[in-house]
Amino acid sequence: MSAAAIRPAPPTAAPPARKSWRAGDRRWGMLFVAPQAIGMLLFTLIPFVFAFVLAFTEWNGFGLPRYIGFDNFRDQLTSPLLGRSIINTLIIAVITVPIGLFLAILVATALNKIKGRPFYMVLFFTPVVTSTVAIALIWQQILRPDGVLSDFMSRTLGIPQIDWLGDPRLALLAVCAVTIWSSMGLNIVIFMAGLQNVSPSVLEAAAIDGAGPVSRFFKVILPLLSPIIFYQSVVAFISSLQTFDLVFILVKNAGPDNATRTIVYHIYDLGFAKSQFGISSAASIILLLLTLLITALQFAAQKRFVHYEG
Amino acid sequence: MAITISRRQFGFFAGAAVAASSLAACSGSGSGSGKGKVVWSTWGSPEDLKSFDTFQEAFKKSNPDIDLVFQPTPSYSEYHSKLLTQLSSGTAPDVFYIGDDRVASVIRNNVLMPIGDKLSGTSISEGDFAANVLDIGRWEGKLYALPNDVNPDTLWYDKEALKAAGITDDPAQLAADDKWTTEVFFEMTAKLKAAGLTGAVYWNYWATHDGFMTAQGGKVYDDQGKYVAHQDQASVTAMEEYAQRFQSGEMKLADLLPEGAGSDTLLVTHKLGFLAAGRYTIGSIRGAGVDEALYDIVRWPSIDGTAKPTGVAASYLAVNAKTADTDAALKFFSSFLDADGQKLRLSGAGNAVPSIKGADDIVLSENYPAHAQTMLDMRDIGYSNFATEAAVPDLSNQISVELMQPLYEGKSDAKTTLEAVAKLVEEKTA
Repeated sequence: MSAAAIRPAPPTAAPPARKSWRAGDRRWGMLFVAPQAIGMLLFTLIPFVFAFVLAFTEWNGFGLPRYIGFDNFRDQLTSPLLGRSIINTLIIAVITVPIGLFLAILVATALNKIKGRPFYMVLFFTPVVTSTVAIALIWQQILRPDGVLSDFMSRTLGIPQIDWLGDPRLALLAVCAVTIWSSMGLNIVIFMAGLQNVSPSVLEAAAIDGAGPVSRFFKVILPLLSPIIFYQSVVAFISSLQTFDLVFILVKNAGPDNATRTIVYHIYDLGFAKSQFGISSAASIILLLLTLLITALQFAAQKRFVHYEG
Repeated sequence: MAITISRRQFGFFAGAAVAASSLAACSGSGSGSGKGKVVWSTWGSPEDLKSFDTFQEAFKKSNPDIDLVFQPTPSYSEYHSKLLTQLSSGTAPDVFYIGDDRVASVIRNNVLMPIGDKLSGTSISEGDFAANVLDIGRWEGKLYALPNDVNPDTLWYDKEALKAAGITDDPAQLAADDKWTTEVFFEMTAKLKAAGLTGAVYWNYWATHDGFMTAQGGKVYDDQGKYVAHQDQASVTAMEEYAQRFQSGEMKLADLLPEGAGSDTLLVTHKLGFLAAGRYTIGSIRGAGVDEALYDIVRWPSIDGTAKPTGVAASYLAVNAKTADTDAALKFFSSFLDADGQKLRLSGAGNAVPSIKGADDIVLSENYPAHAQTMLDMRDIGYSNFATEAAVPDLSNQISVELMQPLYEGKSDAKTTLEAVAKLVEEKTA
């Protein structure tokens, strides 16, 4: 075999442009994209448009909707229950997002250095792949007044047994605690991936410059993780605003005195319990606007707090 | 021989297969075998649903030409959410249960088959059923639903708890002598509380509040279906007196009792004097393995000690207006509701009281509880949920949770609460 035979051909021709795709390739491409596109169309886009239209109508699920203008929005914007739902939801988000992310960073940093990491990863990640219904039912038992937690606290601290889910002052905190516990595994995995990308040379340089472990954590590691923290905070905040399944199973009837009524629970209650699909749709549009507003604020804040390398 | 297909053919067959399987999954009933088919649904825990096994087996045996498909849902509230969605999308079962706080609203949406004129060829007739629980199944002169069975909330009492509180009178005997007054009852609940026990427990739903009022001679709705409790002094007084006892801790709402210390648990552990509950309590007592002779039932007390009407919880059965096989659906409907059907469903571990004539021996044959006749008496003089209220989805529940519960918790007074209920009912039914 001559040397010429293995020499690559000179780049005489430009790489093929997209327009040179054969028609058949384009069809196959569209076929592969079709399942997701159809799913998006059927289960996201059409319902979104339908909900938007319904928000301006009165409809109980039967017959034809009746156009009523902005009445549903007026009803919801003056509804104490929606106000309570928004406050509860924001409390969940404000408590669970920062605490959940901070704990996840701490655990990820610790796991980054210890032996047997896969074992601990499995332990922390198990709740993420467990059904929310199963999680809610297990925690329902743990949080009973005669459950493990209350019983332990009663015996060790000598205090009366606590009804975590039945006390309006504690029910929302209990929901927050379960939310943090169940979502921490995913945050840990993502932060561990981020930590793998922190260059050891940067940490060594900081150490040579006299930075201790705490200083390195807050002044080097955290800033380098800030893009991931920002991304996770946006995702976690949106997820918190959509809290439903855990609350629905864990606490009956939105808790005592609506203590755990969230916005999505409120939307579900109006639509599927009270058959007021128009008002329910208006509440869902309000949730969308709230989500957009909070996300916009987060993006505005990122310019100040997020550090991008390079 | 190799078979080759073009890409276009492949796409066509794949699309057809997906469409066919989707359509098959959506269809409610209909069978390609030439047999009739009935899909029916209800709610209930796995234990509750076992009570249908005997009936279903008997129905299949006597109707081999009908395929019977059972689609249960565990939770009451989720069942109705699912049913309304199915009815709206045209995929509802052929025959289905509806709760007494929902039936009137479903009827008003023209999705149920009017059954009044279709019963002539079946094993049941309208006149076989207790008239006082039929009204809610009617709309504009037509009958759309019939009660499967009923459950008057008798007061189950624990003789051991009463004895521990120093109570020597037997409530059932007082009732037999027409001396079962509200005053005597309140004295008993006060003594039970003083003895460290719970006086009485009630579920927070329409039959409880309405029963408090009507048992004391009050009115809830007038004959035109208008809410009048707030204008009726007997009703306001009754609610105020009961609310005071909830606030003092003599009485409690079963819904708010913590997990693991619910109403049944309190009753079988002798920590509760009275529990307002249906026939299903027999199962709770027997399941706990306690001496069942310690428990008996009594009607709700009244001012003069005589029997007064109280709410009767019921569930209703209806036929889908779009059922594919009307004959098969009506066959199942009538077999389920006739006296034989109710006997099959409610005998032995049955959890309710029959709604049809000719099946009362189910309740009396076991001689348990000792005053089992009380269930039948309360059924006969009681009333179903008011149609005005049941015509608005979730209104009964909204009244209970958002207005009555704060009253029982001492956050409002009776007059203000009943006025708020009247305003809510007026708004929702305008």
